[in-house]
Amino acid sequence: MAVPHILIVDNDPAAALVTQRGLQMLIGSEATIDLAHSAGAAWLSCVRGEVSLLIVDPGGTDRSTAALVKALHNERPNLPVLVLTAYDTPRLRNQMRNLGVKFYLAKPIDLPELHKIVTVAVG
Amino acid sequence: MQSHRRRPVRTHARGQHRMMRLLARIHADTQRIAILEQQLTNRHLLPQTILSGRLNVIQAICAALLVTQEIEAILRIVVREANTLFPGASGALLYLIDDKDEHLILRATNVGKPMPLIIRPGQGLSGRAFLAPRAMLVVGPEVESALEELDAEQIDALQQMIHPWPPTSALLAPLRIEGQRLGALVMYGSASAHLFLPRDLQFIQSISDLAAVAISARSQVARTAALQRDLDQTQTLHAEAQARLNAAQAQLLQSAKLAAVGELAASVAHEINNPLYAARNSLYLVEQDLPADAPQRPFLTIAQSELGRIARIITRMREFYRPARDELDTTPINELLEETIELVQTHLRHGQVGVQSAFDPAVGSIVAHADQLRQVFLNLMLNACDAMPDGGELQIRTEITAATEQHSNGLNVFVSDTGTGIDPEHLPHLFEPFYTTKPQGTGLGLAISAHIITQHGGFITVESSLGKGTTFRIFLPAT
Repeated sequence: MAVPHILIVDNDPAAALVTQRGLQMLIGSEATIDLAHSAGAAWLSCVRGEVSLLIVDPGGTDRSTAALVKALHNERPNLPVLVLTAYDTPRLRNQMRNLGVKFYLAKPIDLPELHKIVTVAVG
Repeated sequence: MQSHRRRPVRTHARGQHRMMRLLARIHADTQRIAILEQQLTNRHLLPQTILSGRLNVIQAICAALLVTQEIEAILRIVVREANTLFPGASGALLYLIDDKDEHLILRATNVGKPMPLIIRPGQGLSGRAFLAPRAMLVVGPEVESALEELDAEQIDALQQMIHPWPPTSALLAPLRIEGQRLGALVMYGSASAHLFLPRDLQFIQSISDLAAVAISARSQVARTAALQRDLDQTQTLHAEAQARLNAAQAQLLQSAKLAAVGELAASVAHEINNPLYAARNSLYLVEQDLPADAPQRPFLTIAQSELGRIARIITRMREFYRPARDELDTTPINELLEETIELVQTHLRHGQVGVQSAFDPAVGSIVAHADQLRQVFLNLMLNACDAMPDGGELQIRTEITAATEQHSNGLNVFVSDTGTGIDPEHLPHLFEPFYTTKPQGTGLGLAISAHIITQHGGFITVESSLGKGTTFRIFLPAT
């Protein structure tokens, strides 16, 4: 059975690095966790079927991540998406819910809590 | 000779006799001439006496009407003095037309309290008087014919007031002023058909004209007073509405200022979340590799605790900016819009702006912050009014809407104007704080409106066409 692959898309490099390193430490070898350099790169990985869980922060002024979630909702509706955002608003929650996002977390969240949700999301 | 002497004697006697008869005739004629002269003198003197008396009566009426303020008192004076003008008349009845110009109502008599009596214009003597251009004298069959037009109830009422019954003559006069018919005055004659004469017509018309002038003047005074009362009431209502609007605008401005501060706080909070998240969890990762008795551990704990404190402050800032949960309540959107329209009604009327509303009854209630939504609606309506300096049409419409890719199911509120429209170069910046095209604008109204709607999970969009108008659409999700 293949090891789950978790891909992280976050415009904030420090937050992205902490998420990747922290989850990798907590999960260990049961999953591989990578950072996508851009929303476009994440899209390519996802359509190739290389991703088990996508962690994104679609808030802020950069709309590319939100566009990525929308595109995946249309093309890969079964791919689990976890929103981990620093820009939590009711509107964003509604928007993500309408795009089929089942896992939604607001920063600053502690890594152990994030770990629990990720474990559930990966299944 | 004897016969010759006898003849002169007989002749003389006959002459004396004829002379005596002639003298008697002269005396009789002289007496008759004297009587005729006396009668002639009387005939000249009588009208002068009557005229003088009637003039005195009319002068008395004028004086009384000048100082009388109440219409009922005026009516009583008129019927009383009319009876004085025509001694021997069996009654003076005065009718006034009702507000709808449909019925004459008996308002005053000189024969006691007026009976309840209502006559159609043209019906009976009073109805004919009402429609007549000037005073009329009716006698004999014409009186009978007019009375036959009345029903039994009307006849009964008249019989109780007029004695003897039926009258054989009547003087009729309309109460008119400047072509407006106000009522009618009817003087009933006695059993004699010759009580009234044609020369009486000018007198009854004079008294009727005086009455019409007095009644009209008092009516104008009463109408002016009523209009003044209405004006005062309208001014009071306007002042109250203006005060409410001013208060609402002040509240809107205050809210906008607070919101600007809140928006700044929220923006800062959002930007802090990423570094806070990275810092806290970096410390967590460091902590995992530290031995339990490492001397750095207490400081690590302090750092984590202080970062936790920052996180709580940030959370409180965000909560302050969001509508508090306990202020959210079931809010009927259509009713809220109606209330807001009512609030700006006076403002719109002064700006010659008409309002058309089309509320979809299917749009029910949502859980929302009613005061904040009211501020949004108020702001959009006032903006629409500002966009129509020469007047126009404000349209408010609601509808329910199904879920789409962009939003869940919910409702739309459209606020449209027929104003000047918005230049396309301004459209992308409309909802930015402090962006304004108005000389006195703060640039916060639309920004805070958009923010409030966003906080409710909705959004605002705008479409505008220069010279044609602008439509704002507010989407609010169903809750």
